[in-house]
Parts: sequence; structure tokens; C-alpha cells
Amino acid sequence: MSPPMNFDLLNIRFPKTLDEAVAFQADERTRGRLLAGGTDLMVQWAAGAPPPQRLISIWGLPELSAIRVSKEMVEIGAGVTHAFLRDCTDIRAHVPALVAAAASVGATQIQARGTLGGNAANASPAGDTAPALLVTDGMVMLASAQRFRTVPLTAFWTGYRQTAAQPDEIIAAFLLPKKGRSVERFRKIGTRKAQAISKIMAASRIRLHGGTIESAAIALGSVAATPIRLGKVEAFLAGKKLSRRLVEEAEALAQASVAPIADIRSSAEYRRWTAGRLVRDALENLQ
Amino acid sequence: MKSIERTWKLNGTATTLRFPAGRRLLDLLREDLALTGAKEGCGEGECGACTVLIDNDPAVSCLIPAGQLPDGTTLLTIEGVEKKRAGRVLQKAFMETGAVQCGFCIPGMVLAAYALLQRNPKPSTAAIRTALAGNLCRCTGYVKIIAAVKLAAARLRKTSSTPG
Ligand SMILES: Cc1cc2nc3c(=O)[nH]c(=O)nc-3n(C[C@H](O)[C@H](O)[C@H](O)COP(=O)(O)OP(=O)(O)OC[C@H]3O[C@@H](n4cnc5c(N)ncnc54)[C@H](O)[C@@H]3O)c2cc1C
Ligand code: FES
Ligand code: FES
Repeated sequence: MSPPMNFDLLNIRFPKTLDEAVAFQADERTRGRLLAGGTDLMVQWAAGAPPPQRLISIWGLPELSAIRVSKEMVEIGAGVTHAFLRDCTDIRAHVPALVAAAASVGATQIQARGTLGGNAANASPAGDTAPALLVTDGMVMLASAQRFRTVPLTAFWTGYRQTAAQPDEIIAAFLLPKKGRSVERFRKIGTRKAQAISKIMAASRIRLHGGTIESAAIALGSVAATPIRLGKVEAFLAGKKLSRRLVEEAEALAQASVAPIADIRSSAEYRRWTAGRLVRDALENLQ
Repeated sequence: MKSIERTWKLNGTATTLRFPAGRRLLDLLREDLALTGAKEGCGEGECGACTVLIDNDPAVSCLIPAGQLPDGTTLLTIEGVEKKRAGRVLQKAFMETGAVQCGFCIPGMVLAAYALLQRNPKPSTAAIRTALAGNLCRCTGYVKIIAAVKLAAARLRKTSSTPG
């Protein structure tokens, strides 16, 4: 047993603006680990992981807390909490899968502090909001002292707990196209509804017109090192008439196109089978 | 360790404190302020025994470096809820329904229930379950806890339109 963590020793800076925060991150001598709601980081340190030398608290930065709804897009600041997303009716109409995912994170206490940016940056394959972000075909906006740049969400998660963000970059916001006429769905399978890390979860954004699937975006979490889009299944569905047969074929294709691992939460077989069932569930709930 | 100063509205009273920025809110409450109603069950955000209300929202004080709470934050602990009418009504309902056994989880349960009733005076059973899903109880089996919240909600609706 290692001695219990002494949180009093944490070295935390409190920039007041995003400009101050990116200035800290620009220089290796002042750069620190970003601390948002702390619901991932504090747990890691409590469990014995050594904390970093410097922390930069970005909790509450006004530039990261904004939500903007424009004609075609929803822009959500990285510091927006799951609780805010859960309760925000403006956003629910346009990205309902994301709102459902946020409402499924932990329980109310975790939702009050955990942020969307923290969930994305943590880059766990079990991060619940990632599949819902992926199906929007949106962008993530990254801020550094030099510039803002955007990266497509489909290129953001690059490996197990790795992202396309550079060490000096802070996630500023998510730019998400509204769903329009599409139907979105989010399903999470865990040991219990609350406080359970997902065994597997799915998000989908599917557009149906006169019985034909015009476009389908389907994403899964916890079946690979990163959250993934089911490109093969999406391509197979596009342009086809929705039928019982089609649903069965899509289910089988989904099962064949994932290669999940077994871990403490679930077996590979369960995840593969359930991947197919979740695709079926998305297709059977398009009305 | 650098100390910082913060002024919060703690249980209704403006309170200025100096502490190391990383000090867990839970330790600050229990060790420095002797507000021992918040309990440490897991230290990892799972059990809800350390729940407090930050600007009216339940949060787990074991995961919060206290320096992250800015000046002006409103903090309510079980010691403060006791002084509110809705808090006393909840307390009485928990006792009458037999919702308390060892009591370890109860401060967190009451705070989560209090926050719920502020927002939703007539919660469904499902809404109560969701609101209390982050609070674990190893003794009661939850049935009586949910009954207690329902009873308190009914009494508060009868006696006034604004619980407080
Ligand atoms: C009891 C419990 C239950 C949980 N249940 C779930 C669950 O059901 N589903 C789920 O997905 N997660 C769950 N989590 C994990 C966690 O709550 C979420 O991942 C949360 O969204 C993390 O956000 P945060 O702001 O607290 O992150 P922090 O802990 O502050 O940071 C997490 C990581 O992100 C980095 N980071 C934070 N913000 C930024 C930014 N703007 N730019 C760049 N990097 C940044 C940090 O440096 C760190 O590496 C749970 C945690 C607990 C304690
Ligand atoms: S002690 Fe904080 S949640 Fe268990
Ligand atoms: S009464 Fe003992 S843990 Fe709830």
C-alpha cells in the first residue's frame, strides 16, 4: 500500500481567461496538466497515480462555458458540464443523442462537475459522449497561444487515450451540425444505469425519407481502442429501403466488423453480439 | 504548497478561508471547519456520502480541489440544510418512515433529496431514483428512503408553495 494521496500538495494555477491559460501552455516551463471538473483526474490520484508537477485549472473559464445555436450548428464550449447539457432544452432538439449521453454519465453529482471537454480529452474508449459527438460529423476547436484550429471529430481520437490535440492546445469548443430531419438515438449498456462505466454504447444519426435510408451515421464506444464509426454498416445502409431483412443484414455486418477485447467489464463475445443488437435498435426506432 | 483565500457563502454565512488550493473540499469541511456531516465512503466519487450542494447542485466533495470554488460560491452542507424548513421536513420524514439504519449515507441522501425538491416539488418515483442514483446505501435497500422523500414532498406541497 502506498501512503494516501496528499491533495494539499497539488500545485494549481488559476488563469482567469483562456488567453492566460494558453499562455501557460505555450511555454514548457509553465505548462501544466489541464484540470477541468477533476472527475477523472482526482480519481486517478486518489487511486495512487502520481499527480503532475503543475496543474492549470480551466474550470469556469468564461470562454469555455458558452453555448451558441446558429442556423445549422450548435457550438458547445469544452467547459460545459454534463448537467448543463442534460437540462438544456435548446440543445436537446438538435443533438439529442449527445444530451442523452451526458445524462447517462455517472450520476447527478458527477454530471454537475464533469465537462464535455474533459470527457473528450480523457479519450477513454468508454467515454459516453464520444459516440454521440462522432455521429454529428462535427469539429473540435483547439486553442493555443498561436491560433485556433479545427479538427474533424472523426480524426480526433487517434489511439487508446490519445487525441490529435498538441501538448500546448486546449479544447475550446465543439462545433456540431444540427441533426435536421435525422433521427438520433443513444443507448448505453452497463451494469446499472448510474455510476457504471459502459460495457458498450452506441449513438446514431439516421435520415429516412419515404422508407429509404438517405444517410446513416452510427458510432460505438468500448469496442476498440478509440470510439469508432461503423463505416461499413453506414455505406451498406445508405440508399436502401428499410426492411426487416435489411435490419438483419446490418446487424450481422456490425457484428462482423468490430473486434472488441475482453476486460473487467465485459467479454469480447458479449460486446460483439451487443454491437449488432445496438445497430438493430437504432434502425428499429426511426419513427 | 501555496495557500489561497476564498470567500464563500457557507450555510448562509459569508465565510473567508485560507487553505492550500488542492485541499479537497471534503477535508476542508471535516478537518478545518469541523463540519463532519459529509462522510468519506470511497474517496472516488462513487458513493455520494460526501455530497454537498454547490450553487444548489449536488456534488461530491471528495473530488473537488477547494481552490476551484470561486469567491461567491454558495455552499450548503447537511449542517446548513438542518436549519431550512424543507431540510427539517425531510429529516422528520426519514425518521418516521424508518429510512435510516447506520446513518452513514443519510447526509448525502438528504442533500440530494433537498436539491431535487427545490427543483421539482412533485417528483415521480423514477425522478427520485434518478436524483438519488449517486448515493449508495449499504443498509436500507432504498425502499424506505424513496418513501421518505415522497412523504416530505407531499408535506412541503401542503404547507407552502416555496420550500426553503
Ligand atoms: C463516479 C464516477 C462515474 C463516472 N461515470 C462516467 C460515465 O458513466 N461515463 C463517462 O463517460 N465518464 C464517467 N466518468 C468519468 C468523468 O466523469 C468524465 O469523463 C468527465 O466528463 C470528465 O470531465 P472533467 O471535466 O471532470 O475532466 P478532468 O478530470 O478535469 O480532466 C480529464 C482529462 O481531460 C483533460 N482536459 C480537461 N478539459 C480539457 C480541455 N478543455 N482541453 C484539453 N484537455 C482537457 C485533463 O487534462 C485530463 O487529462 C465517471 C467518473 C466518476 C468519478
Ligand atoms: S466519498 Fe465522495 S463519493 Fe464516496
Ligand atoms: S443507512 Fe447505512 S448506509 Fe445507508
